[in-house]
Amino acid sequence: MTMFHFFNCAILTFGPHAVYYSATPLSEYDTLGTSVKAALVYLGTALVKLVCLATFLKVSENDGFDPYQELLKAVIGFIDVAGLYFALTQLTHRNISQNHKFQAVGLGWAFADSVLHRLAPLWVGARGLEFTWDFILQGLEANANLVLSISLAALGSLMWLRKNKPKTLIPIIYTCAGIVATMPSITSYLRRGLGWHFPKVVVFELFTSLSMAFISWQLFSACQRPS
Amino acid sequence: MALSKNSGGHRGMQESMYSVIALVFILVACVELCDAAAAIDVYRLIQYDMSGSAYGSRFAALNHHAASLHFPPGADLSRAVLIIPLRELNITFVREYINQKKPLGGLLFLLPDIFSFENGGNKQVHEKEQLKNLLAELEQLLIHANIPYPVYFAFENDEIDTVLADIKKNDAIGQPATATTGGYKLVIPTPEPKKVASPTITNIQGWLSGLKADGDTNQLPTIAIVASYDTFGAAPALSVGSDSNGSGVVALLEIARLFSLLYSNPKTRGRYNLLFGLTSGGPYNYNGTQKWLRSFDQRLRESIDYAICLNSIGSWDNELWIHVSKPPENGYIKQIFEGFSNVAEEMDIKVGLKHKKINISNPRVAREHEQFSRLRVTAATLSEISTAPELLQGTGGLYDSRQFVNETAITRGVKLVAESLARHIYGHQGKNVQIFADGGSLAVNPAYIQSWLDLLSQTPRVAPFLSKNDPFVMALKKELTDHTDEVNMQHEVLEGVFTFYDSTSARLNIYQVASVTFDLLLLLVLGSYLIVLFSFLVITTRGLDDLISLFRRPPSRKVKTA
Repeated sequence: MTMFHFFNCAILTFGPHAVYYSATPLSEYDTLGTSVKAALVYLGTALVKLVCLATFLKVSENDGFDPYQELLKAVIGFIDVAGLYFALTQLTHRNISQNHKFQAVGLGWAFADSVLHRLAPLWVGARGLEFTWDFILQGLEANANLVLSISLAALGSLMWLRKNKPKTLIPIIYTCAGIVATMPSITSYLRRGLGWHFPKVVVFELFTSLSMAFISWQLFSACQRPS
Repeated sequence: MALSKNSGGHRGMQESMYSVIALVFILVACVELCDAAAAIDVYRLIQYDMSGSAYGSRFAALNHHAASLHFPPGADLSRAVLIIPLRELNITFVREYINQKKPLGGLLFLLPDIFSFENGGNKQVHEKEQLKNLLAELEQLLIHANIPYPVYFAFENDEIDTVLADIKKNDAIGQPATATTGGYKLVIPTPEPKKVASPTITNIQGWLSGLKADGDTNQLPTIAIVASYDTFGAAPALSVGSDSNGSGVVALLEIARLFSLLYSNPKTRGRYNLLFGLTSGGPYNYNGTQKWLRSFDQRLRESIDYAICLNSIGSWDNELWIHVSKPPENGYIKQIFEGFSNVAEEMDIKVGLKHKKINISNPRVAREHEQFSRLRVTAATLSEISTAPELLQGTGGLYDSRQFVNETAITRGVKLVAESLARHIYGHQGKNVQIFADGGSLAVNPAYIQSWLDLLSQTPRVAPFLSKNDPFVMALKKELTDHTDEVNMQHEVLEGVFTFYDSTSARLNIYQVASVTFDLLLLLVLGSYLIVLFSFLVITTRGLDDLISLFRRPPSRKVKTA
């Protein structure tokens, strides 16, 4: 029954992306091309990040939390934001509204992230006889990541694509974007520095992703009212 | 080395190649290869045929759920492996299971650390003896039974102890492991065991020539010192036989070393040839010794004055036995026995004489000297055991580990034999002369004995699994070459009565598995989660009407066309 387990974990990890695409108007407007392009941009960003990590980061012997290394990783994490900026602004998209653009980009981004980071461990590990909860937790993490990516894309599109924003909301938008962008560093701090176990970290991720999604939705609708 | 954005095309290619490789490596590092809950080395029960009847465990591959002794009565164990630690073994229970041929998936016996070479600690002596006897009894039961499922032995360690505690807890609640309730699964993926083709037995002999006086054309008389070096036990990969007959081999090597020192100088070379024999095939009625003797020249055989066979001299306190087949009144026997007794008295050892007639029509050969006696050569076996062992008993099994052998006993035994031989060779019988005195240059070397004993206690030596060029056999040959003038190896095929099967050790993987119901439940939960997510997204982005219209499209179309 181990292929069964693999199948279960796979639909938990990748199912929501497909469901999101088919359930929302994205499928009606055929925005698959945008998502694919966003996924490719994510690949490119990941390569650049890896090269930077390999160049600047020291390999530490112990698994402890080194603030300088983590700071460096956070800075390199901003390359993610740069990639998202590139995907949102520089690529030529078909004539689709702002609303759907960020969703499609966020979806493609999150799907590429899941495939790159979670498909290989799933294929190798979940098919074995030994049972662990890790893969189910990983799937939940992928869900949280999807929500976070879409919120980040929403905030990104607010920052770079919308020209007329209410002045008061701008700092909030930037802070939220900053928090979402540094989520990886925060989770790694929790895991290494505070020593939280994987289930606790996943619960935290789910909670924060839902709250950030809610906040960015409010911000988005707030910015939409004037126009 | 900053990544310059204006790099030329060539440099860009190089860097992207490097990044791809780095990506692959980091991906690989991210992949957590899922391993078993525990993986331990296990050793299989021997599988052999004797005169056509099958004995031992007939299967090697294992893929069943684990159960402990606390299983609920009436549970079906035909697809379960019973894990039994030796301390909790109830021998009647196992005997019942085997004799009544009750169906079982497999057996796994856990042996305490004292029986392993590396980890043997110092426990209470009382417990050691009890466990030793229990293990000996278990071994005899298993060797002589035909068991249609795999039986394995393993040493206790922390991993398997935690797994076993978990299994016991589950069994106590009443949830033995089956395919639907989860638990632990034991997997040993080995191919079916095959027959060992033409098992060889190798006899090694070393010849130390005596001093021939000028003009003396007669053959010098010879004294033979023999020990069999191979073992037989319930688990061939663990049959190290420290006492039977590791002690004999070590003693023989030390005696060879001492006499080679004496014989190296022509002034102290005796008028006797010395023949050292390390024979194989001991557990199988001393088959190897028989073949070795048969290969001798008639003249050589007649020139042998007498032969001393050494067997199990590693764990005695004060008493040794000399076993003979010729009647005690025989002149030669008297001479040998008196020689030994005199030296023994000086060393505060008691030596007894045991006489057992040989029966040529009976193929059973209980002691090595009987093979000599069948060919009319005077011989005696020196041993700490007073009774004759049965076939395949006392041949160095699982319980015969390093813990139970005492180097001092071997040292004293070596001194006894060497002094007796030397007094006979140099004609000092009855005189109180200490040739191998302690502290002198010819003293028995305890460090030599200890190091060889340690080596022997780590080397399993079941003859069919020792090839012709096995490193251990070569080591014995080299050692004898150092101490003697001429060394010969004789390779023979083990007699057709015994057939052995391979696959003696394997790696056991213990997996913690989830039950089928868990997987189905998970599928149900995930399916409903995805459906809920789908409906939620449709409602929030397109409105509730859209969701309902997904289910009501066919009728509305009909209405439209109409």
